[in-house]
Amino acid sequence: MVAAGESVLQLDGLGKTRLNEQGKEIAVLRDVDLTLQAGRITVVIGPSGGGKSTLIRLLNRLEEPSSGQVLLNGRDIRHYDPLQLRRKVALVAQKPFIFCGTVLDNLQRPFTFQGETPPAADDPQLQELLALCQLSRDWLQRDARSLSVGQQQRLCLVRSLATGPEVLLLDEPTSALDRPTVVSLAGSLREACHKWRLAVLLVTHDLHLAKIIADQLAYLEDGRILEQGLPAELFARPRSEALKGFLAPPARRQD
Amino acid sequence: MAAKEIVELAPLNLLWAYGALLLAAALAWQRRIGQARDLLWGSLRMVLQLLAVGYALRWIFAARHPLPTLLMLLVMGGFALQIMAGRLRHKLPGFYRIISLSLFAGCGGITLYFCLLVVVPTPWYEPRYLIPLAGMIIGNSINGACLAVERLAAEMTERQAEIETALSLGASSRQACQEPLRNAFRAALLPTVNTMAAMGVVSLPGMMTGQILSGTDPLIAVKYQITIMCAIVGSVALSSTLLLLQGYRAYFTDAHQLRY
Repeated sequence: MVAAGESVLQLDGLGKTRLNEQGKEIAVLRDVDLTLQAGRITVVIGPSGGGKSTLIRLLNRLEEPSSGQVLLNGRDIRHYDPLQLRRKVALVAQKPFIFCGTVLDNLQRPFTFQGETPPAADDPQLQELLALCQLSRDWLQRDARSLSVGQQQRLCLVRSLATGPEVLLLDEPTSALDRPTVVSLAGSLREACHKWRLAVLLVTHDLHLAKIIADQLAYLEDGRILEQGLPAELFARPRSEALKGFLAPPARRQD
Repeated sequence: MAAKEIVELAPLNLLWAYGALLLAAALAWQRRIGQARDLLWGSLRMVLQLLAVGYALRWIFAARHPLPTLLMLLVMGGFALQIMAGRLRHKLPGFYRIISLSLFAGCGGITLYFCLLVVVPTPWYEPRYLIPLAGMIIGNSINGACLAVERLAAEMTERQAEIETALSLGASSRQACQEPLRNAFRAALLPTVNTMAAMGVVSLPGMMTGQILSGTDPLIAVKYQITIMCAIVGSVALSSTLLLLQGYRAYFTDAHQLRY
């Protein structure tokens, strides 16, 4: 099923500089090329502070790149209305924010933002999405902030998927989860990705997650993509010393 | 007004009053708090400023011409903005234009409304009414505006995760900062609301006390106090609304991104 998907989001020489405390310009990202394909999960791994979160924030225009461009279906994302763009390119942040109110309130929020009639609790599409992400429909009326961290993470996933995006960006989605929860969340993600032919970009330093979920893998360090390719190849035969070092002590990296 | 004989304060009486202040300074000096200098210097400024205003008002009241009245109002507004600038300059980018416009519209609008429809002196710009009325409206609105801006700035930093989550879900910048705007507005109005609730029970308001001291019938003074409180609430609400609806934009780019 996951044969070569068509390219949806194309990152073309993307760079980002920031001013540090001394007012000096430092490069957070340098010349990043990456292509996200429909129905495939691309995972970017790398040490913290390597520019992973920044990379994701450039793709739904929470921030602007300093150089290069991003194409969504062949068109520069700066030519989309930002609000429309973010509807097509959904982002789930590392520390997901749950709005005050019930689970259903949270799921309806994106629709009310965009001036649409929100789905009711018995909406079939919403039910399907809830089932896929393993959220019980009995929880819809519960206070969303009373859910466990893992459940909140799933809620954020459903909330971002409810408005039918084409691209899904995930920043460290498993940083607060234990191993079994990671495995089941990965299963949900994979299913959603295939079902709606989503182009998924996931950034993480969790090698275990990368191993079980990636269709395509890239290694980002110091703002540069040093290697990319099939995960099996990269894990088995890392070429750069940096990636070798990153992969070396797996026991310590996974928690 | 049924003004009875007012006890005039002779210079000697004033000197006795100053005695209380010297007592405070002496206590500060004796306790080595080190505030005696500030206290004396502050009191000197107070006396000079008040005397200047007293003479200016006497002259303006006698002139009964719109021009000096207007000038006085502008000077008051200018000082108010200076004070605010000291407190808030770093909190709101593009600050001067936004604050002066919203305060001008809010205070000006409410003052006119009260002069033309509520108090209705003849002529409508009668300085004896217009200047104190505008003074109280401006003073309270400034305070409200400061609180609104300070609260907005704090909330925009604190709620960054919430705001960016909303933006990522397709919210416009206005929708994304709904909560900060609501809380800032509430913060602006809170002191006025509390003052109203305590009024007459906990304290006698300053303006009312002043009128009573100058021989006005307490019931007339009460009516003025009610009027002025309504004016203050209206103008705090109006000017902080205008301020917030412009001010939040300074935190976002046109592409609905938070500025850093």
